[in-house]
Amino acid sequence: MRNFKLVFGYELSNQLGKKSVRVTTFIIMLVVFALFFIPRFGDLFAPPQVALDSAAPGDAGYVAAVEGAGYVFSDEDLKNHFVPILRAEENDIYASRDELLEAVRERDVAVGFVIKSPTAFESIWQDKDMYSTAPDTLAAIMSRAHINSMLSAKNITLEEVEAVQNFQVDQATTIMGKNSVNNVILAFAFTFVVYMIVLMYGNTTSTMIAREKDSKTMELLITSANPSSLILGKVAASGASAMIQMGLILAAAVAGFRINKNLLPPEITVMLSGTLTTEYIAAFLFYSLVGYIMYLFLYASLGSTVSKVEDVGGATALIQFLFIGAYLASTLTMNLPNSTLSVITSLFPFTSIMVMPLRVALVTVPLWQHALAGGLLTLFTIGFAFLSIKIYRWGTLNYGNKKGFFHAIKMVLKVKN
Amino acid sequence: MQLKVKDIRKSFADKEVLHGINFTVQSGKAMGFLGRNGAGKSTLFRCLMNVFRADSGQFLLDGKPFKPGDYRIGYLPEERGMYAKNKVLEQLVYFARLRGGSKEDATRSAKEWISFFELDDYANRPLEHLSKGNQQKIQIAQAFLNDPDILILDEPFSGLDPVNAGIFKGAIKEFVKKGALLIFSSHQMAYVEEVCDDISLIHEGDILLTGDLDAIKRQRGQHKLYMRVDDLPPAALIDLLKQAFPPVTCDILEESIIIDTGNQVAQTDIMAFLSKQPWTVARFGVYEPSLNDIFISLAGGEQA
Repeated sequence: MRNFKLVFGYELSNQLGKKSVRVTTFIIMLVVFALFFIPRFGDLFAPPQVALDSAAPGDAGYVAAVEGAGYVFSDEDLKNHFVPILRAEENDIYASRDELLEAVRERDVAVGFVIKSPTAFESIWQDKDMYSTAPDTLAAIMSRAHINSMLSAKNITLEEVEAVQNFQVDQATTIMGKNSVNNVILAFAFTFVVYMIVLMYGNTTSTMIAREKDSKTMELLITSANPSSLILGKVAASGASAMIQMGLILAAAVAGFRINKNLLPPEITVMLSGTLTTEYIAAFLFYSLVGYIMYLFLYASLGSTVSKVEDVGGATALIQFLFIGAYLASTLTMNLPNSTLSVITSLFPFTSIMVMPLRVALVTVPLWQHALAGGLLTLFTIGFAFLSIKIYRWGTLNYGNKKGFFHAIKMVLKVKN
Repeated sequence: MQLKVKDIRKSFADKEVLHGINFTVQSGKAMGFLGRNGAGKSTLFRCLMNVFRADSGQFLLDGKPFKPGDYRIGYLPEERGMYAKNKVLEQLVYFARLRGGSKEDATRSAKEWISFFELDDYANRPLEHLSKGNQQKIQIAQAFLNDPDILILDEPFSGLDPVNAGIFKGAIKEFVKKGALLIFSSHQMAYVEEVCDDISLIHEGDILLTGDLDAIKRQRGQHKLYMRVDDLPPAALIDLLKQAFPPVTCDILEESIIIDTGNQVAQTDIMAFLSKQPWTVARFGVYEPSLNDIFISLAGGEQA
């Protein structure tokens, strides 16, 4: 193990020294930092504007304009009724459908509406884009105007109806454990970050080892240092590389947050304080870090079973599926954190990496479950570390032979060298 | 130091490729390890370096089991490989430090060898930016880092042009003179003859010949004469000689013939016989086979 530090330092400087890694990290840091400045340039966190604006009480009810629209009315009564509601100008109104068609064709108006009755209209387009909401807006305006007319006939105003409909039941809440509503978004975001890191760095680790075999560097390495120093150094370097990247991105986020703290909506502060408890941070760090290292050992083992870089994809497919399964299990946990399946997947080492921190964020996890999940994860990580050293050493003897992972395990457990 | 290779056997998938290899290498004397492709040279080197574990047998250094980690060893594997995208100096220092050198010594040693091969301008460039020949020199340089006591070189001359091969040959001789233990394999017999004191010849996993090169040559040339006559074809010359000296056996070697007297015919009798003939004897003398001749006669067929 005397070379562990040396291998670690060399591999780490190799990984962080790559221009692509440095540029990508810097860009992500910049983007994350900039995100917290958005409130300075507009109230993007405000709820979306409704299409209809309330008019003064006693008015026709609700009025709104459909931007860029031209109108034809079937009769004068309809015209008199709708022009004020639609805030239509004189030049928005056409005498006939043909004139409106021509205006649409000449793009004088974006859309043409032929109002046939208080509850029927036709829309006319030259080209209709996928997201145009103008007909829906007009339909809403006409619908509310119609309801208002019907209610007015019975001497009831729309405001009165809405006041009855929108009464609030007074409710008080006492939460002794955790409030999932506040915690789920941030906890799941962290889970997704772990998912991305494992996939990215796992593949990097496999490729790094396969490349050493491909370029025939492995024989030189194996005769210069012991395999445990080599594999542990490489895995630790991959782990540290990800941690450094994530640390820098987190630092950018914290800096952005602190500078703009007073401009951010209070919901974000509530979400942060609700999720980032000591218990969650401890669970997240332990399960994510140990689980990540376990997966890196697995990826390293798989990289040792192939002789060519292009075979890495095929060799790691199995573990990719397993890990995607872990991600799907975490999405189930988001909705049902105390279901039997969630409990089992939070204990199982291949899935606990993502499921357990999520459960910790959403519900109170009993201590025995932590003990079991933590113990299993630690054991599996040590086991895979041992196995990956053996497979790495065995891999040097198998140039040109593409062997499966399970074959490799069988061989290293059976063969002395 | 004395390295003793003792009855080494190695099999792959039930096929034995080394059938009990025995030979000895002395420090201060270069050992050339010869054999055709697939004879088992690289497998033996890998067993020696513990890349493969031998099925049976021992490597003994001064009578004790040899553990590569306990010595400063320079190893040049048959399959060359270093980090293509990393800088030359940086990775040479890394390999030197992996083998136990301090940062200062590793840097000094790496720089020395880069200079030795006149590659100073490439020290801070990625290996892949170098030509294939220069990459080969860097591969060789890594074997010489940290002033090794033992050098194990698999085909060190392959890929080197004659000028660099000459420079490298000088470096090897220097190491041997300083008392290093050197064993190397090569197909280039001329280099082996120049550099090696001892040879071992392996063929299909068996050692056919091992020992002092000069002694081997003398022994294999014993009772043999070399003759070339300008105005007579070799076959006709052989017929005449066999008529005159029935116990001799002859072989044609290009335009010449090798006469094996079997210690039954005196050299002076043959010379007297030749002096009475009308032909011009272009060359006549005691035959000493070249290493190439020995290799071909023992390993058979075309040269590997």
